[in-house]
Amino acid sequence: MSPDVLRIAGLTRRYGRVVANDSVSLRVRAGEVVGLLGHNGAGKTTLVSQVVGLLKPHAGEIRLGQIDAVRHPGAGRRHVALQPQSHVPIDGLSPRSAIEIAGCLRGMSARDARAAAVELAEELDIGAWLDRRALPEGGGLSGGIRRLVSFAMAVVNPPPLLILDEPTNDIDASRRRLLWEAVRRRGDTGSGVLLVTHNIAEAERIVDEVVILERGRVVAEGSTARVRGTQDDDLRLELQLPPGGADPTEESLRLPVTRRVRTGRRVLLTLAARDAASAVSWANARHGERLIDGFSLAPATLEDAYAALTAPSESSERDALPAITETADA
Amino acid sequence: MPEQSAVIPPRSETIAPVQVSVGTSFLTLARWSLASIGAMLPLIVVIQAALAAGIVIGFGFLIPGITPEGALFLASGAPTILLLTIGLVIVPQGVSRARASGELDYQRALPVSRPLLLLVDLMVWILIALPGVAIGLVVAWLRYDVAFTFDWPLLILVSILVTAMATSVGYAIAVALPAMLAQLLSQVLVFFVMLFSPITFPASQLPEWFRSLHAVLPIQPAADLLRAGVAAEAFPADGRDLLVLASWTALGLVVTFLALVRRK
Repeated sequence: MSPDVLRIAGLTRRYGRVVANDSVSLRVRAGEVVGLLGHNGAGKTTLVSQVVGLLKPHAGEIRLGQIDAVRHPGAGRRHVALQPQSHVPIDGLSPRSAIEIAGCLRGMSARDARAAAVELAEELDIGAWLDRRALPEGGGLSGGIRRLVSFAMAVVNPPPLLILDEPTNDIDASRRRLLWEAVRRRGDTGSGVLLVTHNIAEAERIVDEVVILERGRVVAEGSTARVRGTQDDDLRLELQLPPGGADPTEESLRLPVTRRVRTGRRVLLTLAARDAASAVSWANARHGERLIDGFSLAPATLEDAYAALTAPSESSERDALPAITETADA
Repeated sequence: MPEQSAVIPPRSETIAPVQVSVGTSFLTLARWSLASIGAMLPLIVVIQAALAAGIVIGFGFLIPGITPEGALFLASGAPTILLLTIGLVIVPQGVSRARASGELDYQRALPVSRPLLLLVDLMVWILIALPGVAIGLVVAWLRYDVAFTFDWPLLILVSILVTAMATSVGYAIAVALPAMLAQLLSQVLVFFVMLFSPITFPASQLPEWFRSLHAVLPIQPAADLLRAGVAAEAFPADGRDLLVLASWTALGLVVTFLALVRRK
């Protein structure tokens, strides 16, 4: 079994009376990409800040390899490379110099760092910008190129753990694809990756494990298949309700759905592939009765499970998710 | 033909944590800091030249029939104002900005010793601020044709010490206070340095209580020592001034060090 590069146990951190991380436990093994998902304010950045020694936990344990990172944050930081969600200070530098500097700070020789900068530029298709200087106030390089440079700075000569906080923000579709492949490659070559992202649909293809945070607590964790909680060939029927219209799935749903999630005017139903034909004819009939504006049928995804697990609760008192109905497979 | 498949075997050896010598970290961070702060160098030279002109020529208008002694006093005070402005105004504003944008936290998360970040910035700011001494003196010489008597070792030592003091205190202000307060304080300090500090006028013109205050603040000692460096015959150096400057530098460094290593 691969060794843990990050092991967090019972991590708790408060801001005044708000509990940002509530006894969070998770692990990242060498060679594994772990997706850390959650809404804004779920406690993801607080967790990352504690791992890299910017915040001190109120309780719990963080181990980076064999290092107790709560007691020895300086030694812990030598195990981690962080791509932050915020900007990295590269004004005055070209992408080439920025990547070289990051490589040298992680122990590369100047010659190896120069070669690595060229390789990363090719891997991420940013060669055309390699020698263009970033200027103050966002000049010189676009936000997307800056984000790719900050990714390259994090992954050049990678340490045991990579923490990538929203690496795909501002990045165009074709380079996002390259970036996801680059993330997966870092896992395949031995680094553990903790990937913080809202881009669940795209990340699903490259993560091994998923941890979902909701209001500071882990509400789901495990492999993508386990968290998705569905068969690979399960389907998602999405209904769009008319403004102010009643939800036709609330009372007389005659479909064997395994999960129902209502978010605003959208209702997501998860069902088995064998029920596709009856689902389409049921939805067509509701459309004919003008009970729904439209519908679509597509493969079920991790995003559906995520939406179910983090659907807003009608009562803030409850931890359960009232807008969700889980039913046994009919 | 059967479909081919490729399986990437997981790497058996574990990746080692970062091991870099302090010297390599220092040089690499210096390259980074020089590039980012160095981009501001032309602007800083222009600001210093404009400030020098403002002090030497503008303050001269306030003094009708200025004597050669008065001109020398004004001229020898100009470099101090330039160095203090860099350290107490431009440095804290830059650091406050880096703190608000998350860039300072990014640097604090790097696999380097955090005090090294401060030492590197200190060195780079000293390199950037020092031309201010020459700029101030050249402007004064052009305006009043004053004759300087340089004590070069003292001038070099004191220029570095004054910049180090101002930069470390400026850094401390930026990392220890909330961003808004730090920016406000740095603005107030400009006025205090330029108008209420015995740099361009003798301390004897101040009331007694204000003189006592300036005896423990670093501004007058900085001005007196720099004056002794550029006009050694007219103004002797005082060892106590060195002590006061060194104490303030140490205080700034300690406050900054604590703020950089502290986990909130």
